[in-house]
Amino acid sequence: MQLSREEVQSIAHLARIGMTDAELEKAEKDLGAILGYVERLQNIDTNGVPEAAALPIEALQFRPDVVTGSTEVERTLILDNFPASEGGMLKAPAVFERPKK
Amino acid sequence: MDRLNELTIVEARDALEKGTCTSVDLTKACLAEIESRNPALNAFLEVWEADALEAAARSDERRSRGESLGPLDGIPLAIKDNILIEGKHASSGSKILEPYIAISDATVIQKLKSQGAVFLGRTNMDEFAMGSSTEHSAYGPTKHPTDPDRVPGGSSGGSACAVAAHLAFAALGSDTGGSIRQPASFCGIVGLKPTYGRVSRSGLMAMASSFDQIGPLTKSVEDAAILFKAIHGADVMDQTTAREQTTFEPAWRDRLEGLRIGLPKQAWGEGIDPGVRERVMAAVEVFRSLGAQIIDVDLPYVDEVLAVYYVVMPCEVSANLSRFDGMRYGVRHQASNLMETYLETRREYIGDEPRRRILLGTYALSSGYYDAYYRKAKQVQTLIRNAYASAMTQVDFLLTPTAPSVAFKMGEKTSDPLAMYLEDLFTVGANVVGLPAVSIPCGEDGGLPVGLQLTGRAFEESSLLAVARAYEQSVSA
Repeated sequence: MQLSREEVQSIAHLARIGMTDAELEKAEKDLGAILGYVERLQNIDTNGVPEAAALPIEALQFRPDVVTGSTEVERTLILDNFPASEGGMLKAPAVFERPKK
Repeated sequence: MDRLNELTIVEARDALEKGTCTSVDLTKACLAEIESRNPALNAFLEVWEADALEAAARSDERRSRGESLGPLDGIPLAIKDNILIEGKHASSGSKILEPYIAISDATVIQKLKSQGAVFLGRTNMDEFAMGSSTEHSAYGPTKHPTDPDRVPGGSSGGSACAVAAHLAFAALGSDTGGSIRQPASFCGIVGLKPTYGRVSRSGLMAMASSFDQIGPLTKSVEDAAILFKAIHGADVMDQTTAREQTTFEPAWRDRLEGLRIGLPKQAWGEGIDPGVRERVMAAVEVFRSLGAQIIDVDLPYVDEVLAVYYVVMPCEVSANLSRFDGMRYGVRHQASNLMETYLETRREYIGDEPRRRILLGTYALSSGYYDAYYRKAKQVQTLIRNAYASAMTQVDFLLTPTAPSVAFKMGEKTSDPLAMYLEDLFTVGANVVGLPAVSIPCGEDGGLPVGLQLTGRAFEESSLLAVARAYEQSVSA
């Protein structure tokens, strides 16, 4: 299974990873080899076979959906982890570049 | 007596109880060994000397009052860099999380803290737990504890090396496709991947959520039992922990009469180094001499396990790692607009291997390919689960090598991702079907440790470790 340069480029964009031409070329080769390997699954007859359940176990029930709050220490740690902040708020680039007038 | 840091947990606990040493002594012994050997080994990314000594002193104080929080009270441990400890850096071996400080304790850490354990520091790993050699860490590779030209295995290579080199009494790792068992095998120690749903992953950085488990890396099977007992159990913070948790109370035994150990025909085919095959086959004879019945079992579809894993895992990876976008934590490469900021941040600070898996998963889940890859893999996963279930009606345990080879040379597989993936051949099965599996040392080939893997029934870590210990005791006697 060989991916074209355009396909790799489009996947990288979907995954929000910027890549140079050299990196795209390497990815094209590596992904091709791995996809070539997993191709073997196509030879397995899975007619009528259900997909594996998400969990092989009986999981816990969901906990009540209630706000538990956080301690002041946790709050400070969260704020300190922001890559950019202003006035105790997270600062992020604008989502819409050209807002409608 | 051995040097203090060379003791097992059991021996150290006994020494503490008898009063022949203190927790501060144990901690200082580890810190001294770390200082002397870590610069060359790079097993620890960060050491918390002051905190460790303080926790050790508190433990000694408790003991002097005649109190103890259990067998781990005062025992110095190493923690993999993807498990959160409040107020401490946790980077998952990645540059994108270099400044990140954990905002709370993982459930396993809470449990260990409440049992008095001492944390020495965080250990190196393949970035986001993706790799089988610890060469894919953004902070440089960890070296094999006895041969600096070789890898310690991965992704929990720092944890395995720290324990094998006696820098810590034991360590926690995480295992998604073999990341506890394979480095344990390479370094000559014990590594347990518990049943899926047995140990809470709250506070473990998620790689592939349907496979990830936290488990112990230790110097002996009994130590693994102590650490596993301390961390397992249902947790409201992780909805995937199982509601029904069988009690973990291993009944140690010397003889194995009445037990059936299966050798999966398909697993013993090509691809195993002759030296590894020889050592593991010799171990099979030990199990037979202990009274176990050895049976060849058919495990159809096992050849497809790796392919299923390398479809499902990247799909989950691509979703789990989307949170590392430079917005709320970690490093941000601020560019002219939002899209460029995402692209540049993830280009600059996420390494080759995670990137490769994100791309694979994004592709396999993209419109038009979902049925051919993800759905197909999940169907074959059903066939594999059925095959294991059927095999487990004929036998009590499955036995294979842990890895196809002994520790390989640095750089040997870094240029060929597929060759690195084949390292997981024997270990991914337990993750794909959710069963518990343990790697234990079974001799050496050319001076390097060989490991064998036992896989047990779901939630039966007790019997799994009892069988592993019977072997361990008989060969050490």
